[in-house]
Amino acid sequence: MTSTWRRLFALLAVFGLLAAACGSDDSDSASEAEAETVDFKIGLVTDTGKVDDKSFNQSAWEGAQQAAAVIGAEVDYIETEASKDYEANIQLFLDDGANVIVTVGFGMGEATIAAANAHPDVLFIGVDQGQWGGVIPNLAGLIFPEDKSGFLAGALAGMLTESNIVGAVLGTDLVPPVVAFKEGWENGARYTNPSVKTISTYHPGGIDVAFGDPEWGATTSRQVIDQGADIIFGAGGSTGNGALIEVAATEGLYCVGVDTDQWTTVPEAQPCLVTSAMKLIDIGVASLIADAYAGVMEGGNSIGEVGLAPYHDFESTVTAEMRATLDEVLAGLTDGSISTGYPLS
Amino acid sequence: MNKKLFRSCVTPVAAVALGLIIGAILIASQGSSPITAYQAMLVGGLRDSDALLRTFQKATPLIFGGLAVAFAFKAGLFNIGGQGQLLIGAVFAAGVGFGLDGLPMVIHLPLALIAGGLAAAIWGGIAGALKATSGAHEVIVTIMLNFVAGNLTDWLSSSPWKDNSGDRIIARTPPIEPSAEIPTWGALPVGFLLAILVAIMCWFVLERTTFGFQVKSVGFNKDAARYSGIRIGVITASTMAISGMLAGFGGAVESLGVDGRFEAGVNVGLGFEGITIALLARANPIAVIPAGLLVGLMQAGASRMQFKADVAPEIIDVIQALILFFVAAPTILRWILRFQNQTDEDLKLGVGWGSK
Amino acid sequence: MTSRRRAFLWVLVAVLITLIFGFYSINSGQTTAVLAGTVRAATLLVLGAICGMICERSGIVNIGIEGQFLMAAFSAFTVTSLTGSLALGVFAGIATGLVLGWLLAAMAVGLKVDQIIAGTVINIAAVGLTSFFYDRSRSLGVGKYSPIELGSLADIPLIGRVFFSRPLLTYITICLIVLVHIAMFRSVWGMRTRAIGEHPGAADTVGIRVLRLRYFNATLAGGFAGFGGAYLALEAVGAFSRNMSGGRGFLALAVMIFGRRSPFGAYAAALFFGFATALQNQFQLNSTFDIPTQFVGMLPYVVTIVVVALSGLFGSMRDPAALGQTYEKS
Repeated sequence: MTSTWRRLFALLAVFGLLAAACGSDDSDSASEAEAETVDFKIGLVTDTGKVDDKSFNQSAWEGAQQAAAVIGAEVDYIETEASKDYEANIQLFLDDGANVIVTVGFGMGEATIAAANAHPDVLFIGVDQGQWGGVIPNLAGLIFPEDKSGFLAGALAGMLTESNIVGAVLGTDLVPPVVAFKEGWENGARYTNPSVKTISTYHPGGIDVAFGDPEWGATTSRQVIDQGADIIFGAGGSTGNGALIEVAATEGLYCVGVDTDQWTTVPEAQPCLVTSAMKLIDIGVASLIADAYAGVMEGGNSIGEVGLAPYHDFESTVTAEMRATLDEVLAGLTDGSISTGYPLS
Repeated sequence: MNKKLFRSCVTPVAAVALGLIIGAILIASQGSSPITAYQAMLVGGLRDSDALLRTFQKATPLIFGGLAVAFAFKAGLFNIGGQGQLLIGAVFAAGVGFGLDGLPMVIHLPLALIAGGLAAAIWGGIAGALKATSGAHEVIVTIMLNFVAGNLTDWLSSSPWKDNSGDRIIARTPPIEPSAEIPTWGALPVGFLLAILVAIMCWFVLERTTFGFQVKSVGFNKDAARYSGIRIGVITASTMAISGMLAGFGGAVESLGVDGRFEAGVNVGLGFEGITIALLARANPIAVIPAGLLVGLMQAGASRMQFKADVAPEIIDVIQALILFFVAAPTILRWILRFQNQTDEDLKLGVGWGSK
Repeated sequence: MTSRRRAFLWVLVAVLITLIFGFYSINSGQTTAVLAGTVRAATLLVLGAICGMICERSGIVNIGIEGQFLMAAFSAFTVTSLTGSLALGVFAGIATGLVLGWLLAAMAVGLKVDQIIAGTVINIAAVGLTSFFYDRSRSLGVGKYSPIELGSLADIPLIGRVFFSRPLLTYITICLIVLVHIAMFRSVWGMRTRAIGEHPGAADTVGIRVLRLRYFNATLAGGFAGFGGAYLALEAVGAFSRNMSGGRGFLALAVMIFGRRSPFGAYAAALFFGFATALQNQFQLNSTFDIPTQFVGMLPYVVTIVVVALSGLFGSMRDPAALGQTYEKS
């Protein structure tokens, strides 16, 4: 028997070494709040994605962390593996006595509504979840007019393009925000440049791969460039990121990111990244949590801010004239004198 | 007899134990406590009726998918198309589930289940029929059909069968009628009982019927089967249809018993897991049940594990791979545990890969 | 190859060439864009197919190509981001592929694990390990491989842009295809490899060391998949993301069988598949058909099924006789 143990031990030692070798460089993810000064717990459940997805899950998580730091509250997250787990994951935070639960993404809308109805004493924030079916007092749906964000980016693209062709490489039309971004983008480009040609394509596969296929994004981006587009909008998780990085490989072209300021989230795209069509999820989440802490959070829809990210290296490319036009467009969008052409906005 | 049963359990149990131990080392290497992690996983999958329900729900499509792959293996066919067949089953079950109303449950529910199973049988049967008639390799065809099924079901749920109850809704069908819902008895989803029943039926068909004998003959030795008068083409096509139907039932149970509708993207990867389950169970229909339960338990507990112990849920994939490795390579287990086990046949499926 | 089949192929090639030049004369820009996209989409597939082919010709089924791609992409990306060198990343990718190829052989040949299980182990482990150890803050740090124009060759209309204005790894891939094809069908190694896949017993009696050659070939084949993974991370995309191989390892398997387990055949099949993919993108970009994306997106897969079924009618495909079986010296 001793020999058995020795063998077992030898095998384990090998695996241990391997594990240590693989794990040595891991920079630990900061997920725990440092100081618990107040008794207030914030929980965040991601969509089927990760808090480091360089996109909306990450934005929401950053917002929750910012709010927690200000309040001095405890904050934690659960990454959802399968969308069938939404309910169970929300329940984990309920069992844990969370005061505010942030659920991220469209798909979690129903689970969030059910949980909010069942637990009126807990506050819920649903990112990207429109509350159209009636107001639940303890549930705020944080939604964004993506079409306006896309419209602004498109307006800039319409002015920047020299070939008069602008391209878009997109996630999937199965998810409404992506469609909103696309319609806004195309109409924005036409607004500032009526003669512009817009060529756009959605990922042809299912929703499960549409946001996680950078190879297709890059290849398609190249195909779009090859037919003359000189500014490309990449919108759709790592698929879109692949498209941006591909544009960066050719000098003299521009690309536009989505959701967050992708200057920081996709540094590989910096050589071409003029701006990003942003949804300020972090700010929206943080301010709703602050409201919740102060006891003034209101149920129903809360419209978040959208806008363009800083131009970074392209400050001089975007002329004063262009900025003036963008300001006009923004004003027009805000007062409703300009329509994005997206029907449901 | 008892001793034989005991013998046949040693390998899988040892494999699971070893997989978990190595998983623990990985967890520890990330600075978390393996004990906390595993405890959280077990609690998350077993503690109360909610947890148990989740484990059973997770296990159900895994069992169906495992049966689909295992059944095809018996005829020497490799069905990689479980994902597509599951989706087809799920969407058509949901289609009947929400599309018809006013039917009593005793008619509506079986009808929806059968619709899903039948559609998936046709989907799987395409690959079988093509193989039988033109020799098109079932591996190519089922892989391709997975993509086609994904797109087809996405389109169905985003266009003709779309839920239009509100603006800006993701691609999904309306909820199914209550008369098509598969009930849950306490912590026990009836879909799970169905899976067990189907597993027993698979065993019975394979071991106790002429058809099952023919299927296995084709899988064992195609030439011998042909000489003994078995029509290979018919067996190939019908085996793939049955395999597709099994995977399709898995999808139908998801729509009717868990999700309450079909939604694009929620059944991602479920069909592929069937391959792992079938292999863990060494293509034995009865063994598919514990294999599905084990993986279902790990999946049900993964969220809690991340929550309580900060362990990335992907660790369960790694553990699954390790368990599969040890189950498949009993040589290593024997070397470590030093037991002689002559009854423990090595699993051989690859023979069936060849096509003629 | 039967004469009927040969005729079928030639007709197919003639039709394709006529179509391509027809379209080129109508719209050169789009034709070039589509064909360039074709070559690009084909590169990863053909590398995976070569990996699968070397394995299968030696009698080993490798369904772990997907996992080999993913792990190799991961290590290529990680090494490049740590060292700032693309070349080191490529080597790391190849090394990872070799290790995984050896692992496949160790399981399938050494431990006599069923080969399909061995491949599945690699696939699941790859998904789990790459996600588990994925470092959220890491980026490539250097620009990915960018196109190199091959002098005046690049100026040839259409062909110049499609084949001679590519990044480094694509050129290497094309060389590898030719090299492996010659090696497989004209060298002693190729002859021995095919022998152990068809009739290991006979090969053994003429003095070929079956198990050793299988070990060697599976490891070597892994190197090709590893190179593919490096291509994916460092040339095609320029980053790593979870599950980025997106099922292409399985498609490569289909491409290999479709291409009748020869490198040229596999490249033809990969190009065909890449063409269908690029074409459906173009349909969308042009809004050629007013039909849902999902149907346009089915095109490559449906066409492949149809062609596979049709080509089956023109002479059946045959697997190596000893495929999937472990060999035991009697």
